[in-house]
Amino acid sequence: MCETCGCGDAGQFKVHDLNHKHPHNDQEADHGHPHDHAHGHSHDHTHPHDHSHGHSHPHDHDHGTVINLNVDILSENNKLAQLNRRYFAGRKVLCLNLVSSPGSGKTTILEKTIKALIPTRKLAVIEGDQQTFLDADRIEKSGAPAIQINTGSGCHLDARMVELATEKLEIEFGSILFIENVGNLVCPALFDLGESKRVVVISTTEGEDKPLKYPYMFQSSHLCLINKSDLLPYVDFDVEKAIGYARSLNPQLEFILVSAKTGEGLDQWYDWLANQK
Amino acid sequence: MHEFSLAIEVINLAGREVEKRGTRKIHEITIEVGDLSGVEADAFESALGLLVRDSILDQAHVKILRTPGTGNCLSCQSDFEMSHRMATCPVCSCFPSEIRGGTEFRVVSLVVD
Repeated sequence: MCETCGCGDAGQFKVHDLNHKHPHNDQEADHGHPHDHAHGHSHDHTHPHDHSHGHSHPHDHDHGTVINLNVDILSENNKLAQLNRRYFAGRKVLCLNLVSSPGSGKTTILEKTIKALIPTRKLAVIEGDQQTFLDADRIEKSGAPAIQINTGSGCHLDARMVELATEKLEIEFGSILFIENVGNLVCPALFDLGESKRVVVISTTEGEDKPLKYPYMFQSSHLCLINKSDLLPYVDFDVEKAIGYARSLNPQLEFILVSAKTGEGLDQWYDWLANQK
Repeated sequence: MHEFSLAIEVINLAGREVEKRGTRKIHEITIEVGDLSGVEADAFESALGLLVRDSILDQAHVKILRTPGTGNCLSCQSDFEMSHRMATCPVCSCFPSEIRGGTEFRVVSLVVD
């Protein structure tokens, strides 16, 4: 069973190094076959058999030892995240966790960012998606080393997945590491990956009330990129309102209005990146 | 729906404790879920109920303690109960407030052999 939403197999996430991808030909891909067969025998089955008890039991058995723990259930993830954070700090790596709903334009922002910064800055990307290598392929074409984590049915990345990905991805000293989380504004909010900063991306084709609907994500982020500014003349998105809602939750949150398509605002985003220590 | 991941974390955490202490059976586990923790207590309890089968918690009685959210108004400094993160101060109707309680999500205790 999926460790997150209950379907599929538990813990079936995979870290893919694109350089070691195995090609599938049609023959290989089509190797599922139905496996029906007649049963040919019967099964015994038991029925519950309740009856009144008619006597009482003494209640003097040993109740065991109480262990007071008071352990945060996310402590294991937080511990691993802290180790990741130290690993990044030791290598002067700026690690950014990019979160958003699906379709906000995270990958396009990253493609543009990589093309603009790769001549002067070392970059690396961890891509999180439920399925496919598509995003990591796009990122590699932009010129930065990328590794894909497929979470299977999972709806977020966790610190352990990032740890495994960093083992495979050679992150150079002084790099910026972008982690593109699974598109989901709910679950990733709870899972620290060891990032230096969390960047939430929303787009003008979404409702401006998104911060109010997903307060945990906006409360835990440092920067909000409002993407698709080029569409503002055609949609009802009120930028000031969206900023107001988000600031009411998180007064320290910074905002940059960008268009990954036209390039508007991206220089401001690059400046923000350059100013992060 | 991260409640399934969290339920697995609880089972793993209980397993580590049992191993550490050399005990074999957990009779009871008490888990505190704050109303502002980002965890849906009901969904979490259902997830745990499904996942405990054949685990170390299979026979354990699961006790969930709900902790109400509490906040302190940044404008008038009143303490009040917060039903959600967007709650406004009942005294001055202001927002935001500093969250003071209800973010807990932890295993409080185990009863073992």
